[in-house]
Amino acid sequence: MSRRALERAILVAFGVAMVAVPWLVPALLGSFWVSVIAEILIWSLLAASVNLLFGYVGLLSFGQALYFGFGMYGVGIGIAHLGLSFWPAFGLGIVASVAMALVAGIFAVRLTWHYFAIITVVFSLIFYFLFLTIKPVTGGDDGINFTLPPTFRFGQTEIGLADSTFQYFFILFCVAACFWLMHRVIQSPLGKALMAIRDNDVRASLIGLNIYRLRLVAFVMAGFLAGVSGALFAFFGRYSSASYMFYHVSGEAVVWAIVGGTGTLFGPLVGTGIFILVREVVSTQWQHHLLIVGVIAILIVIFAPKGFVGLWRGLMNRVTS
Amino acid sequence: MEILLLLAMNGLVWGLIIALIALGLSIIFGLLDIINIAHGDFFMVGTMVAWATVQMTGNFWLAFLAAPLIGLVLGAIIQRVVIQPIRNAAALSIVATFGLSMILQETARLTFGAVPKRLLPPIEQTIRLFGIDYEVYRLFAAALAIAALAGFFLYLHHTKTGTWMRAVRHDPDTAIAMGIPAERVYVLTFAIGFALAAFGGAVAAPITTVDFRGGVDILPVCFMAVIIGGLGNLPGTAAAAVLLAFMEGIIQSFADPTVARIASLVLMSAVLLVRPQGLFKGFAR
Amino acid sequence: MSEPILRTERLTKRFGGLVAVDGVDLAFEPGRVHAIIGPNGAGKTTFFNIISGMLPADSGRVFFAGRDITALKPHEISRCGIKRTMQIKSVFPNLSVADNLWITAKAGDGFLHPFRAASRFAEVAAKVDATLEQIGLAAVREQTAGTLSYGDMALLEIAMALVSSPKLLLLDEPICGMSPAETERTVAKIRELARQVEIVIIEHNMEVVFGRADDITVMAQGAVLARGTPREIGADERVREAYLGRPEDDDA
Ligand SMILES: Nc1ncnc2c1ncn2[C@@H]1O[C@H](COP(=O)(O)OP(=O)(O)OP(=O)(O)O)[C@@H](O)[C@H]1O
Ligand SMILES: [Mg+2]
Repeated sequence: MSRRALERAILVAFGVAMVAVPWLVPALLGSFWVSVIAEILIWSLLAASVNLLFGYVGLLSFGQALYFGFGMYGVGIGIAHLGLSFWPAFGLGIVASVAMALVAGIFAVRLTWHYFAIITVVFSLIFYFLFLTIKPVTGGDDGINFTLPPTFRFGQTEIGLADSTFQYFFILFCVAACFWLMHRVIQSPLGKALMAIRDNDVRASLIGLNIYRLRLVAFVMAGFLAGVSGALFAFFGRYSSASYMFYHVSGEAVVWAIVGGTGTLFGPLVGTGIFILVREVVSTQWQHHLLIVGVIAILIVIFAPKGFVGLWRGLMNRVTS
Repeated sequence: MEILLLLAMNGLVWGLIIALIALGLSIIFGLLDIINIAHGDFFMVGTMVAWATVQMTGNFWLAFLAAPLIGLVLGAIIQRVVIQPIRNAAALSIVATFGLSMILQETARLTFGAVPKRLLPPIEQTIRLFGIDYEVYRLFAAALAIAALAGFFLYLHHTKTGTWMRAVRHDPDTAIAMGIPAERVYVLTFAIGFALAAFGGAVAAPITTVDFRGGVDILPVCFMAVIIGGLGNLPGTAAAAVLLAFMEGIIQSFADPTVARIASLVLMSAVLLVRPQGLFKGFAR
Repeated sequence: MSEPILRTERLTKRFGGLVAVDGVDLAFEPGRVHAIIGPNGAGKTTFFNIISGMLPADSGRVFFAGRDITALKPHEISRCGIKRTMQIKSVFPNLSVADNLWITAKAGDGFLHPFRAASRFAEVAAKVDATLEQIGLAAVREQTAGTLSYGDMALLEIAMALVSSPKLLLLDEPICGMSPAETERTVAKIRELARQVEIVIIEHNMEVVFGRADDITVMAQGAVLARGTPREIGADERVREAYLGRPEDDDA
């Protein structure tokens, strides 16, 4: 079997497994693990937004939690304060995060390298502290809770995320759609242009690429991914909280993306999965699971700087050649 | 008025301590090209060492020796084990130091518990100053920080290894070509950076809480000082630290502490965007 | 007389106290191969850097076919049709050779489709294939550019300049570091190219310069020292001095 066929087979098997989760997992492990998998899916989008910027454009953002938070609060404020129904709230979350990414990006993508990492984290901190102070609106660290409006309404029957199977599929659908979009972008002329900028920005501008504009486009796209992630997380947890906008959340997403493997479509999903599973498995017995997270991060960075997907590719190269 | 003066004084003292820590961050950044996310935790280690010293010996003064020494040793080990292998990948270094930060915090929590602790200052008297009663220990802490800052600059300019450090920062390739052992300079830099932060932690321990998350709040402040002062501009960094803490202290007298924090963050973004070389370019080199 | 393809007016660039380009007035007539020579540090690369927009000039103007391009950004200048190669080879190291050319060919388009697969742009692919054949890189088309030999990388740079249909090509020491065989191949290529596009070439190799160029400009210490045909330049006493220094006995 060729390598490409093998990888395709794995992908199909993975897709089937993801669809089968609501039936398989409760029987094998317990229904608690369905929500763990849903959470992995949601967070993997945040890691994917880091990956889009770092893996494909070469910009390390340490502030993606800001757009996650805007997605989260768009939904939370939309439902709790503005009385919006499901889809408008979802839309508000995404629009808010994309708009924020556009405004922040206009300034941030002027800078590169360390300076970019620092300005992104600074922007996220500004809004973190701001959201802490406007407690009546945001609920500060405690956040705001809300009751979910139904997703669909057919006459008398309502379908909503209260149904856990529906919730799982709703999340799976949104996440899969985002990964599919990202796949399309990577394969497109835009994707190639972004990778060219990542590889050599001076050369990229000399061949006629407007690197400022393209970086901004990528930044807004990454804001979109983070925003969807945050909006889904708000639906999933039925609440929004400023504590998710702190730089630790951004930092964890960076770790997940790099440990999984940047510059690959599914690396962030792998990284997120590993870390959240470690957390869920270990934290029931031992509250210091972050110790393990830290050790894994360091070991991967030293011994497999291309992450788990990079390890896998190296292995495949050795097997197939 | 009194409260304003008190907060301004506190800001000044705190700023001097921050200057120490930020200096460590700045030399690590300047020489090793690393954004050290764990730097706040180096400070936290210092506060923990101070607490442990008092627990074990009952003598606070020993902490001023123990903290920088432990910082030097830990810094050297960490540089060799974690930083050296990824010297050429700056992005990876952020992940590595983030991992380091988690390890340090969790180890501290594991060893000393999660409950924040208070440490009594070794000098408990107050002194009448400009019409307010001010803690003598804070003045002493400021003096210690100034002494350490001065000591560090003397070291940098008047010792062989200090000169090496400046040479490697200025131009690593030429420095290596001239026979300066860059590898050793990197170890030394990281160790000194850790030691400065840990010393700052020991000095600050009695005026803040001893908490395994104590470094989380310190880190952004140190970064602000490094950026606003200008990357690689060490005197500028020290000046910015004092200025920032002083400014935050004054803003706190009429507004929420988070408002003060937002103000400095906005100032920092403006500096990054408009004058990435820092506010004090040409101030001193 | 026709409009010069490229003209500079009192172009000046300082680095601190050093005047790297010092009030340079130059006009390059179309239809001829122009060479710029000069000792190390003469300001040749800096001159190219200003024209291509990588460095802002301190003063002076640059005109391309009569149009003032002084204040334009690098990508805007590139879209005018000025393409360049770098003295220190500069490609996209993690992309394949074919992708290097693909994105270069596509970059001039204002719009980069975000969702249509790149593989479905047939004309671009055809152009890439033709250029690979023409330059002789077809054998390494799928190789990652960062792993190419130095000579192949230099050829890739020329191919990249070419695939984007330039009007003016600025080549900065294109054969520096090549093996004799590669040099010969590249020089032949450049000569062939000269029939289709305007070329200004910076070169140290005198054989190449005197064999291929129609006009030679000599720069020294940021200024133009002499201009003329290879024959005139070869006979110029000041040029020889700039290259060889003053005669030994004067130094003592
Ligand atoms: N970015 C820069 N900053 C400071 N000085 C520079 C910079 N670029 C070039 N210089 C200086 O300007 C002068 C001219 O350099 P330039 O590279 O243009 O020379 P050149 O003629 O291309 O030389 P060579 O034949 O070695 O390529 C040199 O003294 C160089 O050191
Ligand atoms: Mg040159």
